[in-house]
Amino acid sequence: MQPTSLMKEEFLKKWQMGLQIYRPLIDNTSVSERRKAIKLSADVAMASLRRGTTCWSRALIQKTATENNFLVRQMLSGIKAETLINKKLPKVMCHRKIVRRSKKNFMRRKSRSVSEEVAAKARKLIKRKTQGLRNVVPGGEFMNNDVLLIQETLDYIVSLQTQVNVMRSIVDAAEAGIERTACYLEKLKFTIED
Amino acid sequence: MLEGLVSPESLSLSYADMSVPERLKWLQQHQQQEVLSQSNNDSPELLQILQFYGSNNDELLQSTFSHFQMLGANYNMGFGPSHEAMDGCISRTGSCQIDPADTMGVMLKNSEENRAISFKTKRKSEVKTREQEKTEKKIKVEAETESNMKGKSNMSNKEASSDTLKETSKGASEIQKLDYIHVRARRGQATDRHSLAERARREKISKKMKYLQDLVPGCNQVTGKAGTLDEIINYVQSLQRQVEFLSMKLAVLNPELDLSVEDLSVKQFQAYSSNLPVIVASKPLIMVDVPLFPLDQQGSLDLSVINLNQTTTIEAVRFYHSENFSDYSKFLLLVWEVTCLLYLFASAIYKLGNSVT
Repeated sequence: MQPTSLMKEEFLKKWQMGLQIYRPLIDNTSVSERRKAIKLSADVAMASLRRGTTCWSRALIQKTATENNFLVRQMLSGIKAETLINKKLPKVMCHRKIVRRSKKNFMRRKSRSVSEEVAAKARKLIKRKTQGLRNVVPGGEFMNNDVLLIQETLDYIVSLQTQVNVMRSIVDAAEAGIERTACYLEKLKFTIED
Repeated sequence: MLEGLVSPESLSLSYADMSVPERLKWLQQHQQQEVLSQSNNDSPELLQILQFYGSNNDELLQSTFSHFQMLGANYNMGFGPSHEAMDGCISRTGSCQIDPADTMGVMLKNSEENRAISFKTKRKSEVKTREQEKTEKKIKVEAETESNMKGKSNMSNKEASSDTLKETSKGASEIQKLDYIHVRARRGQATDRHSLAERARREKISKKMKYLQDLVPGCNQVTGKAGTLDEIINYVQSLQRQVEFLSMKLAVLNPELDLSVEDLSVKQFQAYSSNLPVIVASKPLIMVDVPLFPLDQQGSLDLSVINLNQTTTIEAVRFYHSENFSDYSKFLLLVWEVTCLLYLFASAIYKLGNSVT
């Protein structure tokens, strides 16, 4: 599934809305503040497109809500803002060291053959990679199911692609405009000097 | 065993056999429209067939074949597009004898019957035609989804047989039943419910991984789960970094933070129409596409343009981590600085121009 133009438009609208909300707070502040504002509103816009159906969107909204509750509430007005923000994600606590130690003991008792060892190593590798994927995708720690994880990554990748496309096109348009004015002004300068 | 049957009743057998692949075709056509209906009149034949497999009896096989032949006689009337199929089938009479056995093989899912199936599948693999594969796969897939939906309670053998008895034929009701079983057990694989469920789950996962492979560029060359997972992780990380980079850029270029709609419609149109980054002569390399984006490093510039009227300082150029600090990234930085300077210069000139006129 590739990002469609409909998705891009929706994302753009929501993002504009968010930025408008932000603008009175950030006029004439530093670049980093502005960058944060842009990124934040973009993330929230992206997540709200999914309307709470996917796990990663909920996790992302929760993460931003902890920092900037006000903005998030405003942006999500009407779309179950309260439920999304107040919803507690299920906590999965596991003490990794204890689990690892017990696994080691268990494996020591088993008798192994060569092919089994190879398979076990492959499985471990894959487990590591899925753990890495969980770290990258927002809200990944709460997806114990492999199928769910892959579904969420798929959705997340598509949303990220729309986000990147829209932002890139805006940046390009802005730069093109600036470049054109710069050239124009250069010419103007030369004519003035002459 | 089966070849022996051909000679005495070859013609009639071929007739009966022709009806079977035709039946399969019919099933293909009608699979969407069916209503699951009870089929009580199936049971005697099915029982016979099941008994046959239970005992591996030759006589029973003969009797069932004769039965099929009868059925075939009844059904030839009803077949519309039968002629070409029949012609096609006639050419396959040598192989057709196996068909009813195959379809019967589809029906069973017992561990002891596995051996019979494996026997038949061996034969079948030599002569399998595409239509058959299609129908079987369709049946298998449908059956798998059904089995997933129905849950694990149906997986025991006895229940399976009773299910096939009660269950519907997926086909026009005129066609006589071959009730299909849920999962075709392959040779040497266990048929208890845990492994079946696991296999279904694994197939789901591999299907989703295929979608991911299509989405992530450059994933097709790598084989195996670990490699594709690696690529996916890299891709997601690079996309996230791109978002940060672009937001920073936007923050610099657009100090008023306005993405006003009227403005944008024009710019959007321009930008979208090209569908590629706009190539500007002096800075071609800032617009990098995803595969070129440096994955190993993350350069982030922290510029603070304090005030346009006063002296502007470009404070710090910091990097989050730079393991492989290549010339390419240095060049990128340089170009970035140049663009910022250009912007400032242009605005200064504009103001100068204003003051002059």
